[in-house]
Amino acid sequence: MHNEVLIEVNNLQKSFGENHVLKDINATIHKGEVVVIIGPSGSGKSTFLRCLNLLEMPTGGSVIFEGINITDKDCDINQHRQKMGMVFQQFNLFPHLTVMQNITLAPINVKKMKADEANELASKLLTKVGLLDRADSYPKQLSGGQKQRIAIVRALAMEPDVMLFDEPTSSLDPEMVGEVLAVMKELAAEGMTMAVVTHEMGFAREVGNRVLFMEDGVIKEEGTPEQIFKNPKDVRTKEFLNKVL
Amino acid sequence: MNEIIASVNRYGALFLSGTISTLTLSFLTVLFGVIFGTMFAMMKLSKKKILNVPANIYIEIIRGTPIFLQLVLIYFGLPQIGVRFPNIDGFAFFPECMSALIALVMNSTAYVAEIIRAGITSIDKGQTEAARSLGMPENMAMKLIILPQAYKNILPALCNEFVTIIKETAIVSVVGYQDLMYAAQQVRIDTFKVFPPLLVAGAVYFVLTFTTSRLIAVLEKRWARSDA
Repeated sequence: MHNEVLIEVNNLQKSFGENHVLKDINATIHKGEVVVIIGPSGSGKSTFLRCLNLLEMPTGGSVIFEGINITDKDCDINQHRQKMGMVFQQFNLFPHLTVMQNITLAPINVKKMKADEANELASKLLTKVGLLDRADSYPKQLSGGQKQRIAIVRALAMEPDVMLFDEPTSSLDPEMVGEVLAVMKELAAEGMTMAVVTHEMGFAREVGNRVLFMEDGVIKEEGTPEQIFKNPKDVRTKEFLNKVL
Repeated sequence: MNEIIASVNRYGALFLSGTISTLTLSFLTVLFGVIFGTMFAMMKLSKKKILNVPANIYIEIIRGTPIFLQLVLIYFGLPQIGVRFPNIDGFAFFPECMSALIALVMNSTAYVAEIIRAGITSIDKGQTEAARSLGMPENMAMKLIILPQAYKNILPALCNEFVTIIKETAIVSVVGYQDLMYAAQQVRIDTFKVFPPLLVAGAVYFVLTFTTSRLIAVLEKRWARSDA
């Protein structure tokens, strides 16, 4: 089913000074696919995700998004980031704006959407995540789970072609993890292309179409959740899964 | 005491106009200081050497030399290099006003730039990342996301700068700007009395700065509550 390539990563490298974080990463993400990236902390999985929309500038290799090399120097990355929603571990909602303003700010200012059109879209999305009644609240008045659901809505309001999730549940209290994962599951069911860095193995197994296991800046193993969780080939994958499962 | 009351009675209008001049000059200084200070703060934070080096040099030199020297340099120096402010009918001492304002703004810009720079760097990096990930260009993220938060954080510091400026403006009386200090000096020369005019001026300065600081403290408390 997933044939059309949305993101293609070729020989991706990233170093911070002497520290070689990503060593020659090759990967493709197809349209409609949910790719889950797992691995021990410090393995470079967040850096890899952040390289996809150039929040980290790769030091080598290329990222092709919708057929365009966005790592090219002449490429206007702002144009392409509009099509790549991102959700952060720390939510990063704008504290000086209401929930509604958080969501409509980029559509109005970046996409030049009309204000009432943006409000309507925001209301629709808020209804979907069950938070329409919080439209006029400020982020500090929300719980962690609510914040993250708003952050997802904020990214969705730009009507992106792919959603990047950087450990979206890692800073949540355990009882709030479920509500965020539920929204993500629904999104996946609707056919959204997603790349998810997470420690939630249940989510990876249940929702992922493909799992990448990263360690030491390389993709050690990749495959379907079935294959990775039931029958890992790489010895490091086995060790990692034994520890976390 | 009687002498003080007599001094106020007789020269009240002079003191009042001096106080208004002091407040006007202080307010304009902080206003332009914030505008130019923001520019210098952005230059200093820029990765481009051509922007951050001049900003750094400017800020260090201004902060490292006396404001008195800067004022005299502007007042006597500008005409020497051909910059002369005309005398304007109905605006007495326009050249003196301009020199005083320019010198104070130049000075305040350096201090305010440092306040604003600190305000900008205090904003979590995730804010910029979130804005950029939505496709906002760098300057839009600065304008819509970073600066509004930075200004809110540094408002108390900016108000304190206003208090400092109220006191520092006293120096402009030496180039003939008719502020509160100038009024006090006029009365001293007129009456041959030292204490009454200077104590009146001192009291007015104190009331201005003290009430401003109290006001800031109250506002700060209110802001802190809204942040909770």
